[in-house]
Amino acid sequence: MNVQAKIGSQEKSRVGAARVGIGGPVGSGKTALIERLIPAFAARGISIAVVTNDLVTAEDAERLRRSGLIDPKRVMAVEAGACPHTVIREDPTLNIAAADELEMIFPNVELILIESGGDNLASTFSLDLVDWWMFVIDVAGGDDIPRKNGPGVLKCDLLVINKKDLAPHVGVDLPQMLADARNARGDKPIALTNCRAREGIEEIVDLIAKQLLFR
Amino acid sequence: MLRVESVIGNISEPDMAELLHRVGHHGHVEVLEVSGDDLERHRLMKTTRSGLTVAIALPRDQKLSDGAVLHLDEHRAVIVRAGEQRWLRLRPASATDALELGYHAGNLHWRVRFDGEMLLVAQDGDARIYLDRIAPMLSEHRVSLVEDAA
Repeated sequence: MNVQAKIGSQEKSRVGAARVGIGGPVGSGKTALIERLIPAFAARGISIAVVTNDLVTAEDAERLRRSGLIDPKRVMAVEAGACPHTVIREDPTLNIAAADELEMIFPNVELILIESGGDNLASTFSLDLVDWWMFVIDVAGGDDIPRKNGPGVLKCDLLVINKKDLAPHVGVDLPQMLADARNARGDKPIALTNCRAREGIEEIVDLIAKQLLFR
Repeated sequence: MLRVESVIGNISEPDMAELLHRVGHHGHVEVLEVSGDDLERHRLMKTTRSGLTVAIALPRDQKLSDGAVLHLDEHRAVIVRAGEQRWLRLRPASATDALELGYHAGNLHWRVRFDGEMLLVAQDGDARIYLDRIAPMLSEHRVSLVEDAA
């Protein structure tokens, strides 16, 4: 068999949308980040969809559907019914099914954001579910979080430190918090954001566009 | 940048090995080193030893593996070389200590293997991150870290 014959004999499966996980503690700003990412990706012509995870409601999905930022049909809700990490790590079947369904309904979707329910610092994503994931913490949650070596902070592809504008109001030394995060993560990337003011959003979009969408 | 959207085969397949041998004579075979963690990914951008950037986006039913052939033409091939998984080798001093060590490993979601009386923990990142979690057991000599003979 020659090279061309070998390649020609391969069955081609479809390459689906990139899947990005967004995890982090309750109230750190995961949904707020998605609300900023949606228009930022849209401005670059990147077609997206969203899967949200809540404990026993579809609260975050409803918030996004009502936002006017995205076609409500492009937002699906998964109700974890238990600890949020169980459906993004131990058995992500529900989320995989939701992402698959979105890809079937919207075959041109390029990126699916999968938001975990608010969880603790041990929360991580299965790479069976996502291709890349970020972990969102915020300065008001405590400047000691990066020093606690939680798997979420250590293992994520991007650590997002949100609400940077609140640092002086909650007694947080932001440069020290950033230095602690760098010390914990080595050369893995970190983003500082203020989602309410849209600060730091474009850097995250740049990273995803380059590393996952190869643009 | 080379875009890859499927795994063509594996060097362990006889006909693929033959094709790669031929390409090696007339062109060159590039090696893409992928860490154990990154093997789980369906999307990945990495650079080969010779500087070729490879952008991988695989269908969900395909996986990277050691020896996976990502690109093949008459002049060039790209194959995956998997980085070796590091393992921390932990020896509990007693059955009681083994029970406690096993509890911690499960509670911390560590990936483990068993080797006789030793518990092997897949090490992703600094060993300190793992050893700090069982520091009391180590300091009390209820668990010892066994250096790998290799």
